[in-house]
Amino acid sequence: MDVFILALGWLGIFAPTALGAIGSIIGCARAGQAACGAMLDVDGGYGRFVGLSALPSSQMIYGIVVMFSLNREVTVTSAPALFAIGVLAGLALMFSAIYQGACCASAINSSKSKPEIFGLSAAPAAIVEGFAVFAFVFALVLSGGIPS
Amino acid sequence: MIGGRSYYTLIASLPALPTRFDVDRCPITWPRLEDRLRLLEPEDHAMLSQLIDFLAWDRQPLERTDAEMIARYDTLMKKITHPVIRGLVDDWINLRTIVSALRRRRLGEGSPPGIGCWTDTIRRWWSQPQFGLQTRFPWIEELDRLMASNSTRQAERLILSVHWSKWSREASEHHFSFEAVLLYVARWSLVHRWTSQNAVAGRERFENTLSKVLENHVQLAN
Repeated sequence: MDVFILALGWLGIFAPTALGAIGSIIGCARAGQAACGAMLDVDGGYGRFVGLSALPSSQMIYGIVVMFSLNREVTVTSAPALFAIGVLAGLALMFSAIYQGACCASAINSSKSKPEIFGLSAAPAAIVEGFAVFAFVFALVLSGGIPS
Repeated sequence: MIGGRSYYTLIASLPALPTRFDVDRCPITWPRLEDRLRLLEPEDHAMLSQLIDFLAWDRQPLERTDAEMIARYDTLMKKITHPVIRGLVDDWINLRTIVSALRRRRLGEGSPPGIGCWTDTIRRWWSQPQFGLQTRFPWIEELDRLMASNSTRQAERLILSVHWSKWSREASEHHFSFEAVLLYVARWSLVHRWTSQNAVAGRERFENTLSKVLENHVQLAN
C-alpha cells in the first residue's frame, strides 16, 4: 500500500509538467493550424497570427514551475498532498491550454478579415490564461504547506 | 470540442461569408473553394460530395419530368447518411415542395407529387390558404402574396433568406468542425445562387442595351 501511495506522490510531482505539455501541444497545434489557414486567405499580417498561436505554450511553463515547487522527498505523509495538488493543477493547466488554443483559433479566424478587432478577439484567450494563472499561483502557495 | 475531426486550417483558410446573402459579389469562386475543400479527409470529402450532388440535383433541366426528378432524389437520399446534410436537404426540399404547391394551386392544378415530410399535410389541407402550415412557416403568406403579384425576384429573395437565417443560426453553433464546413458550403451556395442571378440579370440588361443601340445605329444609317 505504501508503495502505491509513494507512486501517487511521484505522479503528482510530474503531472503539472506532463498535463501542461499535453494541453500546450493540443492548444498550439489547433491555433497554429488556424494561423496556417488564415495565411492562405490574407496577404499580410502573418506574424501576429503565428504569435497568437503560441499563446497556449505558457501552461507548459507554469507546469514546470509547479513541478519544481512540488519536487521534494516523497514520503507516505507528503505523497497524498503532492498527488492532489499536482494532478489537479495539471488538469487545470491542460484544459486551459486546450481551450485557449480554440479561443486563439477563433481570434485568428475572426481577425483575418477584420484586422481592427485583433486585440479584442484575443481577449477571451487572455481571460482563459487568467484562470491558468490562478491555478498556477495557488498550487505554488499550497506546495509551501505540504507536510514532509 | 476535444473529440471529433476538426478542420482548423480549412475553416481559417475560407473567407468570411457576408452577413447577408444578397451581396453583389461571392467571397470565393467555386474552383477556389473546391481547391480548399481538398483539405478534407477523404471520407468527409465523399460526404460533402453528397451535398454538392444534391445542390446539382436542385438545378434540374426543365424538360425533366416530376417522376424522373423524384427517382433521382430518392437515389441521392439513399446515399446521404450525415444528419446535418439530411437536415440541409430536408430544409431545401420542404421549401421547394411548398413553392411548388403554391404555384400549382395558382395554376389550378392538383397537389404536387412532391417529396419531403410536408407533402401529406399539403394534400390534406389543399383547400386552406397556407395549407395549415402558417404557424410552422410564417413566411408562407408573404411568399404566396409575392408569387401572386409575379414578384419572382422578391419571392426568390424570401426563399433564400429563410434558408440563410436558419443555416446561419446553425453555423453559429459549429466551429472548426466538419459540420461547420458543410454549413459554410451550404450558405456559400445561397450567396452564389443570388450573385449568379445578378450576373444573368446584368447580361440581359447588357444585351438589351446593346440591341437598342444597334437598332438606333441601323435607323440612323438608313
